[in-house]
Amino acid sequence: MLLFCLICLPLKNIIRFSLSGIAYDEWVFSGLVFIIGSIYLFPTLYQEYFEQRIHKKVLINIALAPFSKMKIILHTLLVSILEALIMIFVAVLIYTSFVSVPFTMLSMIFILFSLVIHLFLFGNLYISISLLVDTVTIMMLSSSIIFIYIIFGLGLIIEFPFFPPDIEFILNKIPMALPFQTYQKYYATGFIDWSVLAILVIIIYLWILFNSYLLKWRLRQ
Amino acid sequence: MEASITLKKVGKLIGEKTILAGLSFGIERGSLVAIVGVNDSGKSILLKLLSGYENPDYGQVFIHGLDMEKRRNQTRKLIGYVPYENDLDPWMTVEQNIRFNANLYSIDEDVCTKRLDKYSSFLNIKPYLNEYTFKISGGIQKKTMLIRSLIHDPDILIIDEPTGYMDAESMRLTWDLLKKLKGEKSIIYVSNSLHEIEQAHDRILVFHEGRILMDGHLDKLLKSTMDYHQFQIEFENLTDDLYKKLKKISTIVSPNRLDNIFHFYGRTRSVFFDVIAVASGEMMIDLNVKKLGLRDLLDSEFAGKGLE
Repeated sequence: MLLFCLICLPLKNIIRFSLSGIAYDEWVFSGLVFIIGSIYLFPTLYQEYFEQRIHKKVLINIALAPFSKMKIILHTLLVSILEALIMIFVAVLIYTSFVSVPFTMLSMIFILFSLVIHLFLFGNLYISISLLVDTVTIMMLSSSIIFIYIIFGLGLIIEFPFFPPDIEFILNKIPMALPFQTYQKYYATGFIDWSVLAILVIIIYLWILFNSYLLKWRLRQ
Repeated sequence: MEASITLKKVGKLIGEKTILAGLSFGIERGSLVAIVGVNDSGKSILLKLLSGYENPDYGQVFIHGLDMEKRRNQTRKLIGYVPYENDLDPWMTVEQNIRFNANLYSIDEDVCTKRLDKYSSFLNIKPYLNEYTFKISGGIQKKTMLIRSLIHDPDILIIDEPTGYMDAESMRLTWDLLKKLKGEKSIIYVSNSLHEIEQAHDRILVFHEGRILMDGHLDKLLKSTMDYHQFQIEFENLTDDLYKKLKKISTIVSPNRLDNIFHFYGRTRSVFFDVIAVASGEMMIDLNVKKLGLRDLLDSEFAGKGLE
């Protein structure tokens, strides 16, 4: 609600249509869904991999259980993504109660699909940072930078062509922005870019593997 | 007796410092083993290696014959570990913390409930089961950690300070439980309470600078000291001259003084008469003679060398 009031309502008066001709309400709805998901994902993973670790809490006990580190990372990711999806569902219910959203069932399914990939990417990013950082101040600084990037650097609220060409080029190539870009491409043209999605799945798998090694290294196991 | 844990030339380094230096020993199934030593002697690191929390830099640890590094998932089910510091999730209740651990080890809900009921009754923490763990005392937290480590019914229990933060009643209950579990489970613990160790052990490992200095039952450890006695003689006025004379007596060992009290060790009780012979003209106020215990073994200058 706060995001909607502070970002979408004023921007709606500036940007009426996206550059690809989509009404801003429709454009921003999916963007809001991605933002809410990314934000709700953070507390669980921060608590599991940063707070519990630096305070030598339950993470040690989990690491001693008969599971591989990869399974631990994957399970926490799945649980936190599920929690984020529930929160998104509640937020969407509230949002749609006063703003009509003209989406087809197919578009909604594809939003969900892209969103899950997006959450896997950001979940991995949060885990990596939580495992690499040791102090609260650096953690706060990095999370603030990430949140700014999520809101303004993923094309969720402001389309990439609004940026100078060099920055647009860089932002476009970062894997974190690809799930939303894939969704927008589908919404505007009806084309699903499976090759990008396949690359993203591979990146997610490799990142989970990297985080498993990071966790192992952190726990000195 | 069958070995529960076997260490083969296990070593651990932190930076360039050797924490554990090529340890090789075995622990029999069902035995209660106490590990004792000065601070920073490597006791807690050893427990972390045995629990699988840390890996050795060299050597192998076998649990029931299984290499801990190669058969990680199998060996972890066999171990319950209670660390020294509270590692419970503060935002979960006592019961949730325990049940969470049961889920980690895929323990059936009914079995978990039975075990939780059994151990929480035994350790008298039933009234705290619905309390958040950040609200309860250190002693209750430690008992919760003990139950949590027992919930998957491990064969080996590894505990860093079993009665840390506990009051007298909780200590008694905890030791009653551990002694009851002994035989059924191998229990390895580190404690700084020598009284507790003297009361509860099948075997004591004395650690010093990452090596085992002494190993065996207390009686065996004290065997070499059997003839040794600890003497304390309080003089009305223990002058420097007198102290120098007493120190020169060839039959006394490790003499020292505290105000007017002369403290020393002697192989036989008759050493006392050698002291009397030197200090016959001095007024003695009090005399205390006792056989050596674990504390003397560790505290005296013999610690590090053993009594010969």
